[in-house]
Amino acid sequence: MTSIDRDTSWPEISFEERIGTAEFRIHERAHIVVDGDTCRGCSTRECVIACPANLFVPTSDGGILFNYENCFECGTCYMVCNKEGAISWSYPEGGFGIVFHRT
Amino acid sequence: MSDADVIVVGAGPAGSCAAIAAARAGRRVILIERGPFPGSKNMYGGVVYPRILDELVPRWWETAPIQRWVVRRSTMVLSETGALTVDYRSNAWGEPPYNGATAYRPDFDEWLSRQAVAAGAQLVTSTTVTGLLRDASGRVTGVRTDRPDGDLTASVVIACDGVNSFLAKEAGLYTATDPSNFTLGAKETLALPKHVIDERFGVRDDQGVDIEILGGTSGVNGGGFVYTNLDTIALGVVLKLPKLAAQKKRPEEIIATLKAHPAIAPLIEGAEVKEYSAHVIPEAGYSMMPTMVTDGMLVAGDAAALCLAAGIWLEGVNFAMASGMYAGDAAAAAVARNDVSTKSLSAYSDRLNATFVLRDHKKLRKVPGLVLSDRVQQKYPAFVTSVVERVFRVDNPQPKPGLRRIVREERKRAGIKLSQLIRDGWTGLRGFG
Amino acid sequence: MTVIACLKWVTPRADDDDRFAGISAADQSALEFALLSAQPGEDVVAVCAGPSGAERALRDAIACGVTRAVRIDLDPRVSSLAVASAVASVATGARLVWCGDYSLDRGTGSMPGFLAARLGIGQALGLIDVTIADDAMTVVRRLDGARREIVRVSGPAVLSVEGSTARLRRASLRGVLAADTATIDVITGPSSVVDTVDEKPFRPRARALAAPVGASALDRVRSLTDAGAATGRSETVVLDPPAAAARIVSTLREWGYLG
Repeated sequence: MTSIDRDTSWPEISFEERIGTAEFRIHERAHIVVDGDTCRGCSTRECVIACPANLFVPTSDGGILFNYENCFECGTCYMVCNKEGAISWSYPEGGFGIVFHRT
Repeated sequence: MSDADVIVVGAGPAGSCAAIAAARAGRRVILIERGPFPGSKNMYGGVVYPRILDELVPRWWETAPIQRWVVRRSTMVLSETGALTVDYRSNAWGEPPYNGATAYRPDFDEWLSRQAVAAGAQLVTSTTVTGLLRDASGRVTGVRTDRPDGDLTASVVIACDGVNSFLAKEAGLYTATDPSNFTLGAKETLALPKHVIDERFGVRDDQGVDIEILGGTSGVNGGGFVYTNLDTIALGVVLKLPKLAAQKKRPEEIIATLKAHPAIAPLIEGAEVKEYSAHVIPEAGYSMMPTMVTDGMLVAGDAAALCLAAGIWLEGVNFAMASGMYAGDAAAAAVARNDVSTKSLSAYSDRLNATFVLRDHKKLRKVPGLVLSDRVQQKYPAFVTSVVERVFRVDNPQPKPGLRRIVREERKRAGIKLSQLIRDGWTGLRGFG
Repeated sequence: MTVIACLKWVTPRADDDDRFAGISAADQSALEFALLSAQPGEDVVAVCAGPSGAERALRDAIACGVTRAVRIDLDPRVSSLAVASAVASVATGARLVWCGDYSLDRGTGSMPGFLAARLGIGQALGLIDVTIADDAMTVVRRLDGARREIVRVSGPAVLSVEGSTARLRRASLRGVLAADTATIDVITGPSSVVDTVDEKPFRPRARALAAPVGASALDRVRSLTDAGAATGRSETVVLDPPAAAARIVSTLREWGYLG
């Protein structure tokens, strides 16, 4: 992580607080599925960097731990992924998922 | 008989306008939205240009949930510590018939969907369309949804299902998805008292400001934006996807760096993050657009990549509304003719070609690539700001250097070849037409 | 016979924005149980007391399969007793009345009790599990101290369920389309309102207490908090309801909880 030389004039927030500002109506069924075996062969890990909701976390055994609950449903992960079929991505069931209020 | 004449998938600006147009023409329209209410999934980088609504919703400005009317448009070029801003102000833009406006999309899109319902369309929310129904010839005949007993048939399907448009892809209207055609938009809605925003941005009442930023995105090709709502400021970045993944810097870190820039920090001092949001943008414009029409189906809005990201112009909602309206008109006319073949529906693409929707895109088709190119992104901001810095720096007792010398020296310092500068300048001139 | 589902329309945002309004998970469970417990030929009626925005909840219920929907036009500020009276006018003669155990807006859960009293039928409240059989239902109640009570409900009754007890079925697309134009009966409820003019946070009066005794700080904290000490305060008595109520009041007084 790059440290940022901040003239801090606004309250710093953790990523958890940041993601907590958005409303997610969580469905029990995951709408993102990651094929762990394919990810083990991936060295670039684009999804880990690019996902704005930070849903993808590398594990020590070379896999990817993911969660779908705080997903913005933007599509970045499957677009940046260079392993065909590693990320299966669809929309959550109607009525569930991200609900924006003031954006 | 079909369940509807026209099914519109997605109740964003394109979908609601398509539904209004088709319903006004007397067609039975079902408008399907996957969110709990229209707009709940939608996010953007800031300004609606609603004049196209004059045709659909007369005196729209009296009821539309607008935050502020943009009377100041700024383009800002950021280097590490410097900023060059071109700022235009017109208070006339704050009065009817207006120009641009800021709005919260969950408010604006929901309002627009109510106009569709008022026009006679039936709105179904909390329902995700999962695929297309097609007959033996391949013609689209309806949609499949994620509800039990969820198939729905129609003469025409209008896909306004957003940037990921699974429907346009399923219909084979796109060639493969190329990530370099897309950018990620990530944004913070920052709360400040209204009077503080008014003072910092030099506006009053319902006047607003929109600032587009080149540079300041931590080496990731893209840009930034800051605009005012009534009692919040929206600040965000637009990041080219492949570059973002390669730079090893996360979106929220890039936002934090932009917020710390000396030209930005004073604007947002003391503000609290009210909502963090993100969305993908079909950035590449004309070069990435799909085929707009197939048998029984039309594509509009972000689903058709109708988003103009050409440096000083950043527009999407207006293109969505216009394309939706034209799609609704074309679908209604095709249903009336009882012919929903590609040929019959192609009145839609003809109209896109004849109007600003594709004329703007065609005219500016080289600009998105230029704006997102490495030179414009990595070298020009520092070059331009340092030239201006030296022009305005008074280095007495040294006499003022000539402008030509400054430009030459700073160009060399930035590592830009004269031939490239001329070529890019020429592309820009031609591109901006 | 009918089965009733009582739904409360709640807007969680301070600005009463209908877009974010809905019914609680508990009320959704109640609706699901109403649909599940209805016998063939039996009507399921969804009842909602609230402003016109509440009709969205009722349309959702129609989409899920209820036979009839009734909105009681009611000022949201009326007491739960008034709500219960109004709902009772619709629920008279019902075999089962299902409610959420309490509403999203920090409700007290008193309405189902009032409703049972008004209707003069049995009650089983705060249910965490429901097993439906043809003749009778077996339900599990949550009691204090993680205790459970298993109850058999055979006659007409009001039942209130917690949010996690059932997942509301997903309405079919045809159901949703038809619900859009379905008729919703509207009746007018009582209008007497006890209005809270000002709400202040709960601040109990200060009480002088003797300093705790003990040699060490730890001992003093222990004596102050009763931590680790046998309270000796629990006892089980069997009394008829009036005597039990009197006993509870006198004990609370003795222990200093009531003045």
